[in-house]
Amino acid sequence: MDDYRPPRSHFLPRTRDGRTATLLFVVFFLFAMPPMTHTALNRADPWILGLPFFYVALLVVYTALILVLVWAYRRGV
Amino acid sequence: MEAWVVATGLIGLYLVLTIVLGFVANRRMTGDMEDFLLYGRKAGFIVLYLTVVASFHSSFAFLGSGGFFYRNGIGFWAAGTWTLLVGAITYVIGTRIWALGKAFNYMTPADMLADFYESEAVRVTVAVVSVVFTILYIQVQAQGLGYIINVASGGRISFEVGTLILLIVAAVYLMVGGLRAVYWTDVLQGVWMYIAVWVGALVLSYELFGGPLELWRAVSEQRPDLLSLPGPEGFFRPGMWIGMTITLSFGIVFQPHMMIRYYTAVDAKTIKLLGATTPIYLMTLYIPAALVGLGGALVMPGLEGAEADRIFPELLFAYTNPWLTGAILAGATAAAMSTLDSILHANMTVLTRDIYQRFIRPNESQGHYINVGRAIVVGLLVIGYMLSVGTFDYLVVLVTLSGAGALQLMPAILGVCFPGGRTLTRAGVVWGIVAGLVTLYLTLVVVPHPLGMHGGLWGLLVNTAVALNVSVFTPPPSAETIRRVHGEVERFVYGAEE
Repeated sequence: MDDYRPPRSHFLPRTRDGRTATLLFVVFFLFAMPPMTHTALNRADPWILGLPFFYVALLVVYTALILVLVWAYRRGV
Repeated sequence: MEAWVVATGLIGLYLVLTIVLGFVANRRMTGDMEDFLLYGRKAGFIVLYLTVVASFHSSFAFLGSGGFFYRNGIGFWAAGTWTLLVGAITYVIGTRIWALGKAFNYMTPADMLADFYESEAVRVTVAVVSVVFTILYIQVQAQGLGYIINVASGGRISFEVGTLILLIVAAVYLMVGGLRAVYWTDVLQGVWMYIAVWVGALVLSYELFGGPLELWRAVSEQRPDLLSLPGPEGFFRPGMWIGMTITLSFGIVFQPHMMIRYYTAVDAKTIKLLGATTPIYLMTLYIPAALVGLGGALVMPGLEGAEADRIFPELLFAYTNPWLTGAILAGATAAAMSTLDSILHANMTVLTRDIYQRFIRPNESQGHYINVGRAIVVGLLVIGYMLSVGTFDYLVVLVTLSGAGALQLMPAILGVCFPGGRTLTRAGVVWGIVAGLVTLYLTLVVVPHPLGMHGGLWGLLVNTAVALNVSVFTPPPSAETIRRVHGEVERFVYGAEE
């Protein structure tokens, strides 16, 4: 028991795929958080495919986040 | 045939279906606690997927979200952020919880935390927080059910009677078939509610505006204030956006009914796939909710306070045919019942396992504990009913309060699931939770949401600070326990201990 060394922190990913997935998720997620939501995204114009900008922009971010999770799953992260 | 007859009849048919499923599930039961409480840890992807999404989305998603779009505009599209976070949390933390549950036979959140922190005080604290705050959730669902049946029957069945009927049905199939019955009914409910929300919203938008795009255009012309932040009532300020995102993701995932679901998965791959794909269902359910709420604000303006939560059924009754209305309201019933049964089950499991089996009668037979669990469900039903008919608030407010309570378990759970760094101690965890709850009271009741930041987040910040500081001066769990538990996490995530 005396020779037990705690493992390296699990808060930081150790593999390359893990780091990529974490970084992408955090970056995309920040686009769906203030201050982005309350400044750059906070407008209805221009309308995109008949929908307000704010709504479409967040939908794109949400879709990107889902794709990151699916990519991580497929890579076995 | 009159609309209320069709609507009430279809809801009745749906209720009969759930009870039948409960009895079929009963025939598959093996009679041991793990089977009754945890589905024998054999839940495959489809069943687990539908029970998780159906449990996450409740009358809050079906009624409350429409009401929130109605009152606060497009800001409620923030809902996408917490549904995405739920997927990521499931992927990263849910898998670890599953691995530890399988390795050490945990059945409840308190099992895991009490084992790691080597403390019965931690067990009781966690069990109490789990039960107290999820009882609010029973209230949310029961109130939603009361609204639905009251509206569906055209006021012929009172809110109180409707609530009671639906609470009894959920309790019956839970007591008869255990978690298997809950999962099977959740499969039905998960499919039904998703189709119902989408069909209802699309039919209404075509009926009233000529289509979804025309609806959006009409909103921009008549109520442009609904299309920007912070919304007409100034609700969605940055602090509230962040607070709701954290509270309604971590706060809901750490509630016992969600954590127990992680224990029940057949393997880790199932949980990972669950994490990667649940946001698809969870997030896309808010797309039709936006159509209902924003469209409703134009067509039926003037609903005040909690009345706005009824906008969906009110629109259906006013503008669609009775059969469709009935089928959709049955879907709304499904949304509420799928969460209600899960919470009844979770609280039953926590009280049976963490309190009764641990402190009152430790050495009884499996059948004895199952029967005690059934008796506890009856008690919860009575408490839930009394709360439901006694107090009222916005559904979203109640859900957020419930999530804010469970959020206070976050530092303790992260301490177990993420090895490395300084370990929290039992005293740190308990005092952190106590400080978090006191802060929660102050920042939700006494001075609501100071500096525009949600009270749940204030509670979490104080909780974390207290837990870390107290842990500096108090003894950590034994090295043997840390090695056993963190070693298991290390092996599970990276294949072998370093």
